[in-house]
Amino acid sequence: MICQRGFAALGLFWALTAAGQTPAPKAPRTPNLNGIWEALGTANWDLQDHAAQAGPFWQTGAIGAEPAGLGVVVGGEIPYLPAAAAKKKENFANRAKNDPEAKCYLPGIPRATYLPYPFQIVQSPKDILMVYEFASANRLINMGKPIEAGADSWMGTSNGHWEGNTLVVDVTGLNGLSWFDRAGDFASDSLHVVERFTRVDADHITYEATIEDPKTFSKPWKISLPLYKRVEKNAQLLEFKCVPFSEELLYGQFKKQ
Amino acid sequence: MTPSKYFLGASIAIAMLVPVFLPAQTKSWTQPKTPWGDPDIQGVWPGTAMVGTPLERDKSLGTRAFLTEDEFAKRAERAKTQAAIDNEETVSDLTRCDPGRGGLGNTPTTCKNGISIGPPLYWDDRGKPSKQASLVMDPPDGRIPPLTPEAQKMAAERIAARRARPCAATAGGCHDTWEDESLWDRCITRGTVGSIVPNTYNQGNQILQTPGYVVLRNEMIHESRIIPVAAPNNAGRPHVPPAIRTWLGDSRGHWEGNTLVVETTNFLDKTVIGQTPASEDLKLVEKFARVSADTMNYSVTIEDPKTWTKPWTISFPLKSEPDYVLYEYACHEGNYYMYNALSGARAEEKKAARNGR
Repeated sequence: MICQRGFAALGLFWALTAAGQTPAPKAPRTPNLNGIWEALGTANWDLQDHAAQAGPFWQTGAIGAEPAGLGVVVGGEIPYLPAAAAKKKENFANRAKNDPEAKCYLPGIPRATYLPYPFQIVQSPKDILMVYEFASANRLINMGKPIEAGADSWMGTSNGHWEGNTLVVDVTGLNGLSWFDRAGDFASDSLHVVERFTRVDADHITYEATIEDPKTFSKPWKISLPLYKRVEKNAQLLEFKCVPFSEELLYGQFKKQ
Repeated sequence: MTPSKYFLGASIAIAMLVPVFLPAQTKSWTQPKTPWGDPDIQGVWPGTAMVGTPLERDKSLGTRAFLTEDEFAKRAERAKTQAAIDNEETVSDLTRCDPGRGGLGNTPTTCKNGISIGPPLYWDDRGKPSKQASLVMDPPDGRIPPLTPEAQKMAAERIAARRARPCAATAGGCHDTWEDESLWDRCITRGTVGSIVPNTYNQGNQILQTPGYVVLRNEMIHESRIIPVAAPNNAGRPHVPPAIRTWLGDSRGHWEGNTLVVETTNFLDKTVIGQTPASEDLKLVEKFARVSADTMNYSVTIEDPKTWTKPWTISFPLKSEPDYVLYEYACHEGNYYMYNALSGARAEEKKAARNGR
């Protein structure tokens, strides 16, 4: 990439020199986040540092086991209030049936970003749409005059603006029913997330999210992780409509025996 | 929220459509272009206004695609009467009905004037009475073409199999598993056609463009179809291989003048259009043609030689509504219908067993 850019710059220089002109002052350019992106790593297993361990289902053996991973929480620890810390433990104990991912529920923010599925950023001249492969989730990021959240929702209300090369998205109106990961990390409906998407080179975005929820945490905290561009020539978002995969889990108890 | 069963039954007979007929291009209007030179069809284009236009045409209208003034006045009057009745719900003299005549969901709610009570006005959208006689615009009689003999046989077998089940004889019908419920009740999808064809409520559609793509967002059930659009004189990207089958299919677009043409294939064999499941050979060809600042003609041609004896087309105008906000239709997340239908059926069985039946 660096090489290509070098050649392009050289070519531009040559063209301008040949024409005997100097470059016009550059208008500020809006960064381009278009593309299909995906987090690697294990943030969706557990935002914090975690050793490898068995998964909730012995039947799936090593396939369902949790890989070890370095945490993505800046500073290492999520600053839970005591009652919330207890709730997180309870979530973890019941994760096989209560994790909203297992139930194919809309993933909420920030989890949608680092689920182990790609998502596509569609940057239109006006607003920005993020389309997630998981559960056909999507969210529109309003780039105009900020709008207030209406009723709470799973994916929240997103208002975005540019700070230099960074897309900053302020997310409110989250319903507090989403989890952050398979470890049971969670927040309440007072959750406020401020995300920062910075394209650091052609194939990488640095994703940061500041998480604030005075009902759940003693202070705001932050996650930071890279997003990788899906560079396959034929890359496209496919379909992961997981409702049919969740119905036995959700409704099996009411099935006629 | 999931619509109640009876309501669904009444409204699901819905549809999709196509061609290019309605308002002629306004002379003073020029198709705007995106910064990269494609026709700009972006915006919020709800189908709400056309809710209430029937999928199929009344046979008495023959090949007349649009109502006469007189017929239109009657349609408008009927809509008004219906709204008034629904607004009163079931409590007034106006809606005290003849129990002998049946009604929606086999409840005795058919009123003296022959109009059944529907859901209250705050529950759904009614649209604006339209002169368009039906959403199906081709064949010229506005009727869905007959099923192929093979599809007829399969439909008959499905019905027979269902009738043979013991649950078919119960008042509530069959709710043995979630698979007895419709795709919509299961909150899986309304399908590519059903997501845009006007019906019931949450009829928002939004189009965004970025170089190489047009994205169609449907409010119902939070779908986003990302359509790669071929550059001029370029064959574009091939469809994904046939092993990959999806509920919404695999869409590829190109521009014909200012019209976006989208071809969609790779469907699962579970796509229900109208009330008929299509085969894996289903192919849709959609056209999006903006004809004025606030009108886009939409059409979809449905081809599936295994299911219908010929292709057919649904067509209707979408109206720009910049202030319409697509709300998150989190259907599955609050699908109490499913719990209630299944647990209710189990409770009924227990009761029947206790009563020794």
